[in-house]
Amino acid sequence: MTTRQVVTIQIDGQDVEVDASKPLVDALHRSGTDVPTYCYHPGLSAVGSCRICQVEVQMGEAPGRVVVACRTPISEGMRVFTSTDKAHAVRRECLEFLLKNHPLDCPICDKAGECDLQDFSFAEGQAEGRSSEPRRSLDKRKSLGDVIVLDEERCILCSRCVRFMDEVPKTPQLTVSGLGARSTISTFADRPLTGNYQGNLADVCPVGALTLKKFRFQARVWNLRKTPSTCGECSRGCSITNEVLRNNELKRIRPRYNADVNEWWMCDTGRFALEEHSLEGRLAGSMIRGEAGMEPASAREGLERVADALRTHGQPVLLGSAWLTIEEGQALVALAKQLGTEARFVTPPPSELADELLHTDDACPNRRGLTEVGMRAIDAAEALEAIAGAEVALLIGERIIETVGAEALAELPNTVRLFSFDTVALDVPAARAALGTPSSIERDGHWVNVDGHRGMLTIARPAPTDVATLIQNFESLSRLITPAETAGGAAS
Amino acid sequence: MMDDILPAELPLFAVWVIKAVVIFGSLISAAGITTLAERKVSAWIQYRIGPNRVGPFGLLQPLADGVKFIFKEELVPDGANRLMFRLAPMITAAPAMMCIAVIPFAGEVVIGNYNLGNLSITDLSVSVLYVGALTGLGIYGIILGGWSSNSKFSLMGAMRASAQMVSYELTLLLAILSVVLLAGSLDLRAIAESQASSAEGGIGVWNMFLQPVAFVLFIIAMFAETNRHPFDFAECEPELVGGFHTEYSSMKFALFFLGEYCAIIVMCCLVTTFFLGGYDVPFWDSAPWFIQLASFVAKAACFIFLFLWVRWTLPRFRYDQLMGLGWKVMLPLALVNVTVTGAVVSFGWSPLITPVLAVAALIPGVILFARSNPGEASLTGHALSEEGSAS
Amino acid sequence: MVIVKRKELSFWERLYLPEVFQGLSITLRAMFRKNVTRQYPEQKLEVNEVTRGQPRLAVNADDTIRCVSCGLCEAACPAYAITIDGQETDRFIEREPERFEIDMLRCILCGFCEEACPKDAILMSDELELADFSREALVYDLEKLKRPVSALQPRLDYIYKLSNRWNSSSSSS
Ligand code: SF4
Ligand code: SF4
Ligand code: SF4
Ligand code: FES
Repeated sequence: MTTRQVVTIQIDGQDVEVDASKPLVDALHRSGTDVPTYCYHPGLSAVGSCRICQVEVQMGEAPGRVVVACRTPISEGMRVFTSTDKAHAVRRECLEFLLKNHPLDCPICDKAGECDLQDFSFAEGQAEGRSSEPRRSLDKRKSLGDVIVLDEERCILCSRCVRFMDEVPKTPQLTVSGLGARSTISTFADRPLTGNYQGNLADVCPVGALTLKKFRFQARVWNLRKTPSTCGECSRGCSITNEVLRNNELKRIRPRYNADVNEWWMCDTGRFALEEHSLEGRLAGSMIRGEAGMEPASAREGLERVADALRTHGQPVLLGSAWLTIEEGQALVALAKQLGTEARFVTPPPSELADELLHTDDACPNRRGLTEVGMRAIDAAEALEAIAGAEVALLIGERIIETVGAEALAELPNTVRLFSFDTVALDVPAARAALGTPSSIERDGHWVNVDGHRGMLTIARPAPTDVATLIQNFESLSRLITPAETAGGAAS
Repeated sequence: MMDDILPAELPLFAVWVIKAVVIFGSLISAAGITTLAERKVSAWIQYRIGPNRVGPFGLLQPLADGVKFIFKEELVPDGANRLMFRLAPMITAAPAMMCIAVIPFAGEVVIGNYNLGNLSITDLSVSVLYVGALTGLGIYGIILGGWSSNSKFSLMGAMRASAQMVSYELTLLLAILSVVLLAGSLDLRAIAESQASSAEGGIGVWNMFLQPVAFVLFIIAMFAETNRHPFDFAECEPELVGGFHTEYSSMKFALFFLGEYCAIIVMCCLVTTFFLGGYDVPFWDSAPWFIQLASFVAKAACFIFLFLWVRWTLPRFRYDQLMGLGWKVMLPLALVNVTVTGAVVSFGWSPLITPVLAVAALIPGVILFARSNPGEASLTGHALSEEGSAS
Repeated sequence: MVIVKRKELSFWERLYLPEVFQGLSITLRAMFRKNVTRQYPEQKLEVNEVTRGQPRLAVNADDTIRCVSCGLCEAACPAYAITIDGQETDRFIEREPERFEIDMLRCILCGFCEEACPKDAILMSDELELADFSREALVYDLEKLKRPVSALQPRLDYIYKLSNRWNSSSSSS
């Protein structure tokens, strides 16, 4: 990274101190001046192809010149005018030229609501074009692989997507092909895009030309409630935004700028981990073993079963999931201490998609945090071994059943009293009770990523009713088992 | 009375029963019809049609209302005094209905060969006292209802109603007193007959003309006594929800309603008897009983209409105005009027000069009142200082 | 602060009774005026294209729905009565509603949805009657909302006339 060099320039008559290592447009944005940009993206090299960021710049006594702010380096004493008639007229003409072939059918377009072109067109307020020639007619649904669809008509050829593929995952696959009005974005010989970073294309596209197949046409972006959070699909812990529709379905996950972790990007593994939070098959309340197998019950009843087992049998095995937050880890360690046992967490198998950019091979989002609070990492095989030798075993946290392996758990003899706290129900012969738990978009806390950076979780939607957090459950458990030890005879 | 006009064929007991059943039945149906009339009159005043779906012209609406009341759920609020809560509607309705017993509706009833005696359930020689006592009782029902509901709204409504009734009962009785002085009797029938030209010693001029001041005072006070607009402080929706009957539902509520309408009818009968010559038919001394009855009913009906008409015309008083009116205006006027009447009677002057004297005596008072200091609470809304402020 | 000056009453007004009689005469006269009641179920309100009844979705002659599920009506609705979920379609318009619900109990018949719609897909019909036995039944779904565009054409013409008038007056000034 280039070092910061502070110089003073004048923006619209105001003296401002800015960083000269960045292009002028960055200084403008930082000082709160609204200049539209399409081809410029702070994370990509600047090419100055869309020309919408033009401003008037004066140096010394020379008359003002119109320049593109994204390609203009800053120098001391520059005087920038963003809203003079000249600068404004140039930008307006530029916009009209962009709209010459752009359908501007925002009611259908998925980008509407977060589209720079829409915002600027709206600000300029010219609803009708002046040209009488028909717009170019191109492919509106060109598939670019499993992730992305390209609408060639909407594309304004800013080339952000091309540069992204070249510069960020460094897997050049896209290019501008064709000439003049026939230029389109395409892959070589129309091969599908590959790689674990395709989803970012929909984010870098300033208009609605590149859209996600999984999100396309399903929700309007202004109906999504956005909450900051952290991705839990690998130990990188990218900062993300969870976008939830009507307090219900998690519709989209997008990267959130974090200079220390992921900058503007995230991988597709994390972006499309939507099913992890699906509400289908969610366990609310609890399932407890009755006459006819597992029967639904209230969370309270389930918890009492757990407490009973803990009271009557010594040496329970406590296995946490790798998705526990440090707060939950601390509470679990405290509970383990009370029970005179050890708290461990089960790690999922390493990911095969690991790469240089973001995705790591460690699938535990909080390995560092849980280790710091005193939990020991074990793998699924070791976990099964521990369970098999125990009278009582507690599986704690989201995805724990999946990590240990539902089939392997089904093999266990039912001398093991198995209890689970997971988003789904545990239905194996050894299971005595299964309680629901909030998923990572339904609770708050912190994860510590591979580099020691703390990422926060916030509540994006409420957990199903009658689902308590793990910390609440641990507290109730510790309360339920305490009187039995001190006044066991009197209670019965 | 009854015993000196023993019918030849019918036993006395049978006559009583027949008269009681007929008159009481008529009262109840009249109350029903009055509720319908109320809704119709209010509709006409508001350019509407009013109930017109049940029966021809909506005539069966009171029945439908009754059925609805019966099927409504009965609620007794938590913490209410259950006994009193149940008793209160009866205590309100009963006195109002009992008053009807002494109202003289017509003279002797002769049907075929049977002479059923005078058309009233009974003719007490002190019927004015009886009526006065019973109208005073009605307030107990309201107080008990308000208190036993265990609701602040109800209690406040009841308290206001009682204060109001006590204030206006004075005026009401003083107005009656002037009439009694003129007639020299406490018997309603005697008072009615004293105004008929046919009667012995009657002077043939209705008390309305002999006692205009008492007449007006009586009308105003009877609105207050029956808790009707513009004096319906007991229920006053904007301030007290429903007032004393906020917590009442179903038939218990209906009983309050019935009591209210019976009280109206009784008051209209009384004002007819006291001031409009009762069943007297002008210029036809020997009218048969049914014409007399018709005349009585017509007169009373006019007053019932007045009740309804006033209700849908005037806004409710403010409470302090109400009290001011009762104590500072109506009571002095009534006292002056009784004094003047007493003087006329004891000096043996012609009763015809009472109105002249009474009005002459009142003029200075009225002028003083109308000129009174606007800073004081007065009838016409100057309780606030001249510069009332709103922000 | 506003100082409200009370009206000084005249002697006549202070006597009170004359004013009472004046009031009574007003209500008495009112009793003989022609009444304005409309006997509803028999005597229906006249409806025409100006009537702003319940919103309905226009269906083209070829049985396709006009709505592109853009969500503008949903956003414009002040009563939060509309809920839309979109889906992709092979038709030219690319997107159509998968779920389109208007909670008629919430709808205040304001017509904002009609005004917001860029596709003339939601229009205020002349349907006014709304009664049912449950709240759920009054949440109208796509099937209940669909109306052939021919039935809504007069309204469509009317709103175009309105907006034309608006446009021309704004351009002339
Ligand atoms: S890309 Fe932007 S301007 Fe173009 S149709 Fe989509 S929302 Fe509208
Ligand atoms: S008419 Fe108004 S309230 Fe009803 S759905 Fe349309 S926008 Fe919403
Ligand atoms: S505004 Fe029109 S096109 Fe958009 S969702 Fe509503 S009805 Fe459909
Ligand atoms: S943003 Fe500067 S030219 Fe495109």
